[in-house]
Amino acid sequence: MSAQLIREKEKIIKQKRIALTGNHAVALAVKMARAEVIAAYPITPQTPVVEKLAEYVNNGELDAEYIPVEAEHSAMSAVIGASAMGARTFTETSSQGLGHMYENLPIAVGMRLPIIMGMAVRTYSAPINVWGDYSDVMSMRELGWIIYITQNAQEAFDTIIQAYRVAEDSRVHLPAVVAYDGFWTSHVLQPLDVPEDEEEVIRFAPITRSWVKLDLDNPAQLGAVGTPEWYWEIRWQAVEALRGSTKVIEEVDNEFGRRFGRRYGLVSPYMLDDAEIAIVTYGSVYGLVKKAVNKLRSEGVRAGALRLRVIRPWPGDLIAKYLGNVDKIMVIDRTINHGGPLYGPMATEIATTVQRPVYNVLATIGMRAIDSDMIYEAAMKVYRGLWAPGVPYTVGLRGGYE
Amino acid sequence: MRIETVWVGRGGQGIVTATYIIANASIIDGFHAIANPEFGAERRGAPVKAFLTISKEPIEDQEPVKTPHVAVVFDDKLLGAMQFVIDAVKPGGYVILNTGKSPQDAAALVGRDDVNIVVIDAIAIARKHLKLDVPNGPLAGAFSKVMGFPSLQSIREAFETQLGKAVEENFAAVKEAYEVAAVIPAKKVDASAKPKGIISTTSAFLTGPYEVVGWREVNKAGAVFPGSSFPYATGGWRIDKPVIDHSKCIMCRKCWLYCPDDAIIEAWVEREGPRGRKFRMKMIDFDYQYCKGCGVCAEVCPTGAIQMVREI
Ligand code: SF4
Ligand code: SF4
Repeated sequence: MSAQLIREKEKIIKQKRIALTGNHAVALAVKMARAEVIAAYPITPQTPVVEKLAEYVNNGELDAEYIPVEAEHSAMSAVIGASAMGARTFTETSSQGLGHMYENLPIAVGMRLPIIMGMAVRTYSAPINVWGDYSDVMSMRELGWIIYITQNAQEAFDTIIQAYRVAEDSRVHLPAVVAYDGFWTSHVLQPLDVPEDEEEVIRFAPITRSWVKLDLDNPAQLGAVGTPEWYWEIRWQAVEALRGSTKVIEEVDNEFGRRFGRRYGLVSPYMLDDAEIAIVTYGSVYGLVKKAVNKLRSEGVRAGALRLRVIRPWPGDLIAKYLGNVDKIMVIDRTINHGGPLYGPMATEIATTVQRPVYNVLATIGMRAIDSDMIYEAAMKVYRGLWAPGVPYTVGLRGGYE
Repeated sequence: MRIETVWVGRGGQGIVTATYIIANASIIDGFHAIANPEFGAERRGAPVKAFLTISKEPIEDQEPVKTPHVAVVFDDKLLGAMQFVIDAVKPGGYVILNTGKSPQDAAALVGRDDVNIVVIDAIAIARKHLKLDVPNGPLAGAFSKVMGFPSLQSIREAFETQLGKAVEENFAAVKEAYEVAAVIPAKKVDASAKPKGIISTTSAFLTGPYEVVGWREVNKAGAVFPGSSFPYATGGWRIDKPVIDHSKCIMCRKCWLYCPDDAIIEAWVEREGPRGRKFRMKMIDFDYQYCKGCGVCAEVCPTGAIQMVREI
């Protein structure tokens, strides 16, 4: 007799709609995920996250250790230490703050600690510019962190919760960063659906404590010397864990979708089925891109778009699948890869993935605003063959560069 | 001609400098040379090794030295733990050994009769000329004598460029070693024979043999489980050992307080009193397994009860 598997169809949990800025949405997600140790230093544009979390801890809404460190290097050190003790940790940074903690970023990876970091992205000095572009998060691509780039406050909120579940999965055990646009998401008030019963979040992402940690009953030394005959093997475990995390990220996203009613995928495609031109980008400007695609479509141009949501691990197969049959791929990069083969990091990676030249456009540098018309015009230039692939073009740079 | 050499000693004995000096001097003499120290997280006294290859032709390949023509050993106590270095020397090659022992005793320690053994008390020479326990200069002198290069003049020049200080003192030590190094020729050499072993080219050899496992089997995140420093008998790092004259010791325990290695112990001993009665009393002794021979105890002892006695 075959056993009949009866699975209760998972119901989408009850939620209420509130309005929060991206930063406060992130802080709320961290609170609901019950971070146990938070160490962060305020830096524009993430400051409200740090302030909000301090407030939660201070008024007893969140039972966490809040460590007011003197700088980001210490913030990362503190969460590494706390995570190595088995605590669920959170930190947040931007721009120069990331630069200051940089030394410790690969340590979190090598020690396989599931630290979650938020990032309200901001460009690097000089000149001093506290506004949003993707220079910071793009500069940590090679270190082994899982990197999410989200589009709005809702997605940042949801992704923080997903990230805890992914990072603490015993198949992964890696730190993850959840990035979102400085100001355009961090400071913009948006509608946000949050579970009525906060417990749903911890139910979805229970603290596993399954990672390699310090334990009095089973003493060990973490982060020890890795001589040449050991280092590579240990590091390769992290390389493989990151590669394998693709599957876990998808699983977690799917289950989140079933329970919360929202899922995002590793990439978000838009009208790509028959597209002859595709616009690829990341972060909040994706909304403008979709609008530009609509306008192109209305004029008979078969346009589509693709948003990169998870850039580490690199979802190469998916990207190749979605972009494989598109004639012209235009990538809008939001940071400059100074002197690189193309001038944008994602354009370079897309070009190697699809193995053909891409049209590279730089925009929003130092948070220079763009609108959907500018994107439309750039796409039209590509479409009409006025722009060549493999050459950097700019949208919004005075004096232009073509 | 291409001579491959390995130099083994302890952190602080100037192993790396010695290879730089010989490489530099050889280059002055018109040879090509590369000195590749193997760096790790060494501390003073911990075993270290360095490689030096000298050739008439330009050296483009940094091949690891696995079976050297020459092994220079800075401390005769390393012979046990690093027997594999001796095993790896090519038949007919050289083992140059710093030791205070007689050439015969030293040869017995090396335990091979198919290599030339060169015995030199480099510590005594260094102490005489430099007032320091750095045997690298004298060993460089011994090397020059038995190999026939580099010339003493070039070694002097190399000291000037590499060290730029204490050149005369170092050179005097080199010269004395050059004159007094005793060579025990190999008894029988089967030039076609292969060396008994090879030198592992990773720093693993500092910690002894290890099991080579793939990345899947390595502890996650490189966690190291206990574990303690007990197996590392750092007493092997000594050049001098403390010896106590109990008749002078007043049991003030100053030595115990200052010993950086916790190697001073109070041992219970039985003593006969004046009228034949047996007493159990405490006496200062040393844990030679871990005493690194720093001499701090002898330095602080108010009665001069502790003397440091040469051990290698
Ligand atoms: S310092 Fe000298 S006198 Fe004092 S206990 Fe040690 S050996 Fe004895
Ligand atoms: S020589 Fe140094 S290590 Fe040895 S017993 Fe004396 S103080 Fe301790």
